Amino acid sequence: MATSAARSVPLPAPRRVAQEGVINRWQRGVPVHEVRVVTPWFLFLVGLFVVGTVLGLARLLGGALGPFTAMTDAYAWGVWKTFNVMALTALGSGALAVGLASWVLGRHHLHTVMRTALVTSFLFYATGLLGLLTDVGRPWNFWNILLPWRWNTESALWEVSFAMPVYCALFLLYENGPMVVERLWSSKNDRIRGWVRMWHPRIRKTYPFVVAGAYVAPILHQSSLGALMVLAGHKVHPLWQTDMLPILYLVQALVCGFGAVIVVVMSSCLVWRRPLDVKVLGELADLMSFTTIAWLVLRLGDVIVRGRLGDAFAMDRWGVLFLLETTAVAIPAVVMRFARMRATPRAVFGMAMLACVAGIAYRFIPTTLAYAPGEGSTYFPAVPEVLITMGLVAIVVGVFSIAVKRFAVLPAPLESWYHSVEHDRRLSAASRSDAHGHADHD
Amino acid sequence: MVLLSRRALLRRVGGGVGTAVAGGAVALAGAAGAEAAEVRQAPADAVGMLYDATKCIGCKACVAECSKVNGLAPDTAPSNGLWQMPVDLDVHTKNVIKLYADPATGETSYVKRQCMHCVDPSCVSACPFNALHKGDLGIVEWDGTRCIGCRYCEVACPFEIPKFEWNQFNPKIVKCELCRHVLDRDGQPGCTRVCPTGAVIFGRRDGLLAEAKQRVAARPGVYHEDRVYGEREAGGTQVLYLSRVPFEKLGLPALSDRALPAGTRHGGGFLGKFVALPIVLYVVFLRFFRRNWRVHEEEVARLKAERGLEEQL
Repeated sequence: MATSAARSVPLPAPRRVAQEGVINRWQRGVPVHEVRVVTPWFLFLVGLFVVGTVLGLARLLGGALGPFTAMTDAYAWGVWKTFNVMALTALGSGALAVGLASWVLGRHHLHTVMRTALVTSFLFYATGLLGLLTDVGRPWNFWNILLPWRWNTESALWEVSFAMPVYCALFLLYENGPMVVERLWSSKNDRIRGWVRMWHPRIRKTYPFVVAGAYVAPILHQSSLGALMVLAGHKVHPLWQTDMLPILYLVQALVCGFGAVIVVVMSSCLVWRRPLDVKVLGELADLMSFTTIAWLVLRLGDVIVRGRLGDAFAMDRWGVLFLLETTAVAIPAVVMRFARMRATPRAVFGMAMLACVAGIAYRFIPTTLAYAPGEGSTYFPAVPEVLITMGLVAIVVGVFSIAVKRFAVLPAPLESWYHSVEHDRRLSAASRSDAHGHADHD
Repeated sequence: MVLLSRRALLRRVGGGVGTAVAGGAVALAGAAGAEAAEVRQAPADAVGMLYDATKCIGCKACVAECSKVNGLAPDTAPSNGLWQMPVDLDVHTKNVIKLYADPATGETSYVKRQCMHCVDPSCVSACPFNALHKGDLGIVEWDGTRCIGCRYCEVACPFEIPKFEWNQFNPKIVKCELCRHVLDRDGQPGCTRVCPTGAVIFGRRDGLLAEAKQRVAARPGVYHEDRVYGEREAGGTQVLYLSRVPFEKLGLPALSDRALPAGTRHGGGFLGKFVALPIVLYVVFLRFFRRNWRVHEEEVARLKAERGLEEQL
């Protein structure tokens, strides 16, 4: 695939590529080459990862939760569930949001950011599942998932603990597969190439059938994440507690999905000095804004229909919190309605960031700030709890930075692709001339 | 006669099948939705307890007996190891007597707290693998081989009853199970057996409810709002309360008559949520996906012809 193409076709004249680049800056996933994986920042992330992993293993092997967390019987769920699973998987909904927009709604420009969305989603989901594993007290009893007659299909948590691993391990890995297969093709090992030659057409043939399913699964479990808190009843403040929680969580996941893809792809372009594509970014921001408006209609409509609008202006801490949250959600939606703002990368980045923060806040508040299980009980995460959470986030950032340097993830203009192919060719030439085959180029 | 290529024929048949499947799924969802939001009733042989706070003298004989029958170490920490003195329910205490006192009015009342054995319990609805389930006689039981320790029961319980062994390896969920392990031998739980004043009694739920209503009728104006707590709260509980003092002051929350799980069941049940809805979504997504896939293939062919570039999925 990649290298075979480059081998068979001579590089086009640079000027022609440059002209094309003006029309559409992002055309292809291209690895970030000539940049080392190991940087001081990366080592910092590795440090966080090591601390989190050591604590996590100690927590799992030690068995007891008490010494590692500030959770109590009243606040039985801490940040691992409420933040890593219930809030951060919203950022991992980029694969759903961008996938629906590009493949189902036919926004073809967005295909260029699909790989960024897929890698990000996989990492947020995988670390969310690790958080869930750390959180449960009797993880060994997960084998019950193999006995269908023991399932409580009425339980939103059953749905989450069944569908999230399936989505992550089957669908997201499958969707990330072509990227890996493409990379394997540039291998010099004939057996690997033969394997790729056999599997690539099979992936292509099944692709629409599998990936259509990959949009069904998250719709179900992202809404189940909202359904979790419905059973908490009166413990959740009425401004947040509603039977609409499943739909609100789902739509918010789409908002955060678009927002997270914008933030991730723009900050990556900033860090690794790539040109931006204002058209693609504008389209993402447009969709994010539309989805947010739909969410606001549902959210405010629900509060009004339930007759709780008075609570919003009660000027107590929950009313103020509600107003802050709603304003933070609404600002990006309104600002991104203006075409000029959508054409301003700085504005797009800031608004996407705000949308993500506000979306996470919305999904985090019902389980924490607006959760009142009884008088006298409080919860603030303990230090090991926070360190494990930070370790999980470090995995997301660290593995992403490896992935973009080893695989063709980040979008780039065509000239970068040719540049990268040329770089690869130089590398392999260098390794061939080197008797030991060690070319230290990262 | 129009001759179809094999591919076109397949596509037509496939489209028809897809539409039929989607239509069938919608019908299924409709049927499932019809049996939605069912209101659950207590089983005919449901047992429970009736606690009458006006009869309780706070002797805590029930607390001591509960620990004994259930093999729980007495909680002596609050009295510096002198005597059993639990201040609230915890992993050592499945049953507790608490005192409510208002210094301003001089109003006092004892209250006994333990699992309410709801008719339609939130914890049972929440539990992913049915570790908590309604067993014989409507007792809410815990099965350690199914529990993953997720603590959703603690989040879901409106009465804050299930407790989790935070400091144990292989932690258990601890709560009153109405002494189901000795019911055959003793005929009743430890707490009701030792109560000297009959403040807490054991029996069939319908009998206890009738008894409670009789007491209310016999002494009108004595009991708070002349009503029995647990008759309808959260869809009804198998443990019932009578009290002079408002129930909320005893820590029994004001709850709607609708059981919370009933509200979450109106999604159309298993068939609607996990069969019909996914099929409909899948068929719709696939239809649009394949249309856009064709556009994608043209684009790939163009890219390959013009630039010699392979597709990137």
